[in-house]
Amino acid sequence: MPKYAMVIDLQRCVGCGACSIACRNENNVSEGIYWSNKITETSGTFPNVRFHYRPTLCNHCTNPPCVRGCPTKAMHKLDNGITMHDPDKCIGCRYCMFNCPYEVIYFNWQEPHKFWKDSRPVIEGGTSSPKEMAQKVNNGNGAPYSNPARGKTLPENRPKGVVEKCTFCDHRINVGEIPYCAEACPADARVFGDLDKPDSKVNQLLGKYKPYRLKERLGTQPNVYYIRSYNPAHYKRTKGGI
Amino acid sequence: MKAIKIQLWYGLLGLGILLGLLTTYRVLISTGFVLYAKTDILVWTMPIAAYVFFSLTSSGLAFVSSIPIVFGIKRYQPLEKRTAFLEIAILVAAFTCLLLHLGSPWNVVYYLFSPNLASPLWWLGMLYGLYLIVLLLSFRKMHKAVVSKGLGIFTFIIAIATSTALGWLFGLPDARPVYNANFLAMYFPLTGFGSALAAVLLFSLAYHHYAKIPLSEGDSNLYDDLSKLFGVVMVLTLVFFIWRTIVGGVSASAVEFAGFRHMLGSGWYHLALWIGLVIPLVLIAMPSVRAATWGKVTSAVLFLIGMFAGRLELVLSGLVMPTGPKAEGQPPFVSYWPTIWEVFVFVFALSVLLFIYTLGERNLRLSEVTE
Repeated sequence: MPKYAMVIDLQRCVGCGACSIACRNENNVSEGIYWSNKITETSGTFPNVRFHYRPTLCNHCTNPPCVRGCPTKAMHKLDNGITMHDPDKCIGCRYCMFNCPYEVIYFNWQEPHKFWKDSRPVIEGGTSSPKEMAQKVNNGNGAPYSNPARGKTLPENRPKGVVEKCTFCDHRINVGEIPYCAEACPADARVFGDLDKPDSKVNQLLGKYKPYRLKERLGTQPNVYYIRSYNPAHYKRTKGGI
Repeated sequence: MKAIKIQLWYGLLGLGILLGLLTTYRVLISTGFVLYAKTDILVWTMPIAAYVFFSLTSSGLAFVSSIPIVFGIKRYQPLEKRTAFLEIAILVAAFTCLLLHLGSPWNVVYYLFSPNLASPLWWLGMLYGLYLIVLLLSFRKMHKAVVSKGLGIFTFIIAIATSTALGWLFGLPDARPVYNANFLAMYFPLTGFGSALAAVLLFSLAYHHYAKIPLSEGDSNLYDDLSKLFGVVMVLTLVFFIWRTIVGGVSASAVEFAGFRHMLGSGWYHLALWIGLVIPLVLIAMPSVRAATWGKVTSAVLFLIGMFAGRLELVLSGLVMPTGPKAEGQPPFVSYWPTIWEVFVFVFALSVLLFIYTLGERNLRLSEVTE
């Protein structure tokens, strides 16, 4: 059984945000929810300042506090290491959000893609309403650009009153593809692979550079690793693989 | 005249319940949780603080009602039946708050079909469910003037389990050390007991006042005794409160305690300390005030107000400081003020509590002493 992990190379990452946009499109992520996000920091004092950008996502921890706290096993681990969520079992207590030290779980406070339920035309007498457009394109199921492939392992659009988070694009992994954020990254800064394969690209990178994980002191054992930080070391560009 | 007053009272409670039903419809069915002042940072707010307040008061009442049966102190027996009924009414109020906190309460059925024994929330749900059943059974027996010692002890044990498990629930996340499980496992039962003593004094003396039944010498002695016990519990609560302030607010250096340090300057904190602890303690420490009914009632009401503010302060203290990606574009600390819909949740729970209690007081002979 594979054990999936992601390595994020901070030297390659240019902070373009393509990962976040790709994630939204692939997973039909609603407004205000960020499966793929970032932490930005500045150091120094003007004019000697430096901007730091660190992409974030669910760490798919080996010892996940969100899973330990979930009363109905809605949040659970798959055999391949992915931390998955089942909205049908979620009671909406948000205890997983309370427990997650990485702040990567979000709650659907209201109906998802609410904008596309609006029946008022954008320009009165000139354009159709968002609701009409969504109705014509995909029978009003979320946004008009909704990706039906997401619906294979989760509801295509998660309902109001449950949490949601990154799933490492489990629906893509099931058909032999890598997470869409890694696929879309123009700098190949996100490398995805199997930790149980000694020669996988993720293992090669973890062996080559000194990796670190977020808040390691908490013992959650994240499976998202960060390497490098703007230093001149090189390796052959890759997107990894399964 | 009395009938009109009663009708007005029921009308007022009915209005509170109607507001609650409107809130339930809007939050769970139509608009959603955007009606609350919740954000991705403040994921738990006033409804959960109200749940903690009511549920711990209910557990504390179990300690009070267990005094005659578990500890054999018979002079507390006149309180037993009223206290036991109050436990049920307050627990229902706690469940009302919880219902309006959960995003998908209908999925609670998975507590049975997909239990996670590692989760304190699962244990708490099961224990409170069991607690309600045991309370109903216990009260039924009490109403028939047959009190089983075994059932009394069982209720007492469950009350300890629920109030301490709530400490476990808050203390589980290593990322929020401000909620120290070991500390809360002691603080919650103690303050629950304090709230319960305040509630017993308030409801019992209110009964005597509104039913126009003068206090007998035995009753007066009992309530004086209770006030002294209440004073002792307040002193202990104040000691715990001060130590929490010193440890979390002064000596701890971990960055996660910054949220608590921020809350030290908040109105909720000062309300809990001064209105909820210092003033009632000063009042109850004065023998002449302690002996007077108004002194007991005022101390009890102030303590309950302060305790509610304290529960809210405690919940917020671990959440107000945004961290990780959710801190992007946010101030160092987020502020919180409940929306009218969150206030309606509290009004709903309080109305349900008072409605059940009024029905019980009028129909179930709560002053009766069981043998």
